[in-house]
Amino acid sequence: MAKFEITEELLSQIENLQMLLKNNVAGMFGGNHKSRTHGSSCEFADYRDYVDGDDTTKLDWNAYARFDKLYLKLFLDERQMHTRIYIDASRSMEYGDPKKAERALLYAATVAYLSVCEMDKVSVYVIKDKTVHEIICGMVGKESFLSSIGKLEEIIFDGDSFMSEAIVPENVGYGDGLSVIISDFLTDNDYESAIDHLIGKKRDVFCLQILSMEELSPQARGKVHFFDSENASLFYRKDIDREIAKAYKRALEYSTSRIRDYCNARGADYLLVSAEDKPQDVLFEKLVNMGVFQ
Amino acid sequence: MSFLYPLGLLGLIGIPILILVYIIKSKYTEQTVASTYLWTLSERFLKRKRRPSPLAGIISLILQILAVTLISMAIAHPIITVPDAAKEYCFILDGSGSMRMEAGIPTEEEGAAPVTRFEAAKAAIRSRVEDTVDGSLFTLVFAGDTTGIICERTSDKEQILLLLEELTPAYNTLNPADAIGISQGYFNENSGLKTILFTDSDYPSAENIEVVNMAEAIENYSLSSVSYTHLGDTLTVSGKVTSFESDRALTLLMYLDGAETPAAAETVTVKAGEPSIFSLETDTRAFSSIRVVIEESDALPLDNEYTIHNVKSENSYNTLLVSERPFFLEAMLRSQLGASIDVVTPEEYEGQTGYGLYVFDTVVPMDMTLPTDGTVWLVNVTGSIEGAGYTVQGEVTLGRAELLTLSTSSSSATRALLEGADGKNIAVTRYVKCGFYRNFTTLFSYKGSPVVFAGVTEFGNREVVMAFDLHDSNLPLLADFTTLTGNLLAFSFPDMVESTTYLCGETATVNIIPNCESVRVESPSGEISYLKVDGASDSFRITEAGSYRVSITVSGSVREFFLWSAMTEEECDPTVTPAPIALRGEATDGGFDGQFDPIWVIFIALAVVFLADWMVYCYEKYQLR
Repeated sequence: MAKFEITEELLSQIENLQMLLKNNVAGMFGGNHKSRTHGSSCEFADYRDYVDGDDTTKLDWNAYARFDKLYLKLFLDERQMHTRIYIDASRSMEYGDPKKAERALLYAATVAYLSVCEMDKVSVYVIKDKTVHEIICGMVGKESFLSSIGKLEEIIFDGDSFMSEAIVPENVGYGDGLSVIISDFLTDNDYESAIDHLIGKKRDVFCLQILSMEELSPQARGKVHFFDSENASLFYRKDIDREIAKAYKRALEYSTSRIRDYCNARGADYLLVSAEDKPQDVLFEKLVNMGVFQ
Repeated sequence: MSFLYPLGLLGLIGIPILILVYIIKSKYTEQTVASTYLWTLSERFLKRKRRPSPLAGIISLILQILAVTLISMAIAHPIITVPDAAKEYCFILDGSGSMRMEAGIPTEEEGAAPVTRFEAAKAAIRSRVEDTVDGSLFTLVFAGDTTGIICERTSDKEQILLLLEELTPAYNTLNPADAIGISQGYFNENSGLKTILFTDSDYPSAENIEVVNMAEAIENYSLSSVSYTHLGDTLTVSGKVTSFESDRALTLLMYLDGAETPAAAETVTVKAGEPSIFSLETDTRAFSSIRVVIEESDALPLDNEYTIHNVKSENSYNTLLVSERPFFLEAMLRSQLGASIDVVTPEEYEGQTGYGLYVFDTVVPMDMTLPTDGTVWLVNVTGSIEGAGYTVQGEVTLGRAELLTLSTSSSSATRALLEGADGKNIAVTRYVKCGFYRNFTTLFSYKGSPVVFAGVTEFGNREVVMAFDLHDSNLPLLADFTTLTGNLLAFSFPDMVESTTYLCGETATVNIIPNCESVRVESPSGEISYLKVDGASDSFRITEAGSYRVSITVSGSVREFFLWSAMTEEECDPTVTPAPIALRGEATDGGFDGQFDPIWVIFIALAVVFLADWMVYCYEKYQLR
């Protein structure tokens, strides 16, 4: 089990952030997110001609005085989103210093808190093998956040994870908010289908790839025999020299660019962070610069 | 091959340990990582597939085994025995005066003193010693002021080089006979001995002796046979000047009494190798020293200068004459003594001191006491003086001039004092009657009463008494006056130094006079020695060229003499071909087992191995490909 620590100071700073959604949302009424449909918020959107049956309280009498014609004032509708956070709970997430799992939980918690602050609904899932397990379901409001967030620490990071096989069959909602996938993406398994599926469901998708420093810049040299933490049958046995180290760098670049390009091509957001990066830097600089948060 | 410290080979135990460590360490390091995905993926990005070299890992092991082996060898310090490679050497180093000559070898340092033949010879010996195989035996014989063995049959190169470094050349002539004799002794014991003579003399081919001639064709001049004549006021200095290498016009300068400007100069055209006579003249009444110098500089400055100190001047004394009527005595003293004479009247006499001779004429000394720091002459002194050794019994006036009776004593002192004097016609009209209470040598008497006598005061100074007034005698008018006073002055001031010019290697003698407290001799190089003062004379050997300072302390006062020591003509002349030299007997190879110490080779190899190992380490650690 990975433990994470989130402070009041961080939470208070997160309250200053706002989640930016690209797609028009189709969630339930009562949230903080503007819908493309016109509703009852205070934010003016447009005029249209009055037709019988319209709410007369929304008539613009000033316009009637000027144009001698009835116009109805239209206001943007504000909807409640459903933020769904998918955490890769494979064993590889248990590595790094700090562990990638700890960072994954921290970022999941902060996104969840930001969502509940915006009166959105939040669900947290873990992906284990080929299934999605719901850890927190439909959490709304800060009180609910505080009572439920501790469940994240109960997640056991073990085994392998097959994202597409796990997410695609599940109910991921339709056009009602943001789907966040937090993983190290160190797999040859298919994750593209999962992203496509979520995009297809008109959800905003944000892929957060967390890698440890040893994975980003390995220092291992000489004769090594690496065992794969997720699959005992996989190993790597080499006398690592500079040439292999260079090849690794290229492989890393290939791997990260693969997911980045895929996300970019489909309008999804993608961010690669190191487990050693300060959460504040990631949340308040990188994500803000990317336009995920505001 | 043998080892000085065989226990050092225990270090070889490190080799199996190293191999064990290598076997353990060469295994693959097992590690579980988050995912092997990226590592496996990197295989696709390898530019070329490399086959693992079987030597890749073992090079480091081989180098480390080599390093351990070399360290063990270095600690054990191997010595390799080389059969018949060692020899016995006898180095004979010429330490004569001519070896001080410049060798004509340019010095590396600008402004440094030129290298002398002696230094060049030392360097040649040093080079020979360093080039020999360890285990060779060395004997170093130094033929300098005296011939002696500096070190004998040593195989310690450092020792012989250290002793060699301390040697300095002498000033005398080389006499190789003793050195060859020493070498002959070793040759008789080991016919394989190699005798090498380092000299600047041009020895003809020598049997069983290798002669290394340090002489170079280089300009050298010398002065020799310098002497002077002093007739009237004219001082003439003559001698020989030689240029050994080339025909030259040489300028000779003469300086008197240490003056800085020359009193005379002459340019002499000299043919190479042929001595030319020169003559320098100047007008002077008296002098204390003459210095003749060749103005041109050459390889050996020591023989370009010659100084003659005036013996008469060196032995002269300042004189105080106290007299109302000094005419006769002053004239006599001025003619006999070269030094200054102070003449004062009895009224002016205030007990002055610091003179070598005090003459009291018809005057009693201050407080009726004799001076303590010089010879005393008492002429017609009518009062008894404390410490004089005699008492005055009164003046005796004769009716007419009466002849004094000449002493008939055959003692050596009397004969010396009366030498050359007739003494039969000295008459006086008045005299002072004296009575001895100490021993005196009586020269003249009248009716048994001593009139002229000589002895020693109670202070140890010499004393001469003339118990009559010269104006009451015919003595000043007689030839005996000059002869007698000359003898009395000689008695008063015995010559402490008989000669002031010597050649290196000669012996100088100093006469010890009564009350002589010390005789200090300072050589040109500043070496100080003291002569014995309990005998009639003592001597010392002249070993250096230049001015010797002899300081003689008599009754508290110091008198200084200067002796000039010149180098011998043989040493000044490098072109003289000496008599041949040889070792008797048939030389054999006579080699014995030498030793080669390869420790420096081991250290170099160790350094190379360490460097290579470091490069391999860097190659493996930082992948410097």
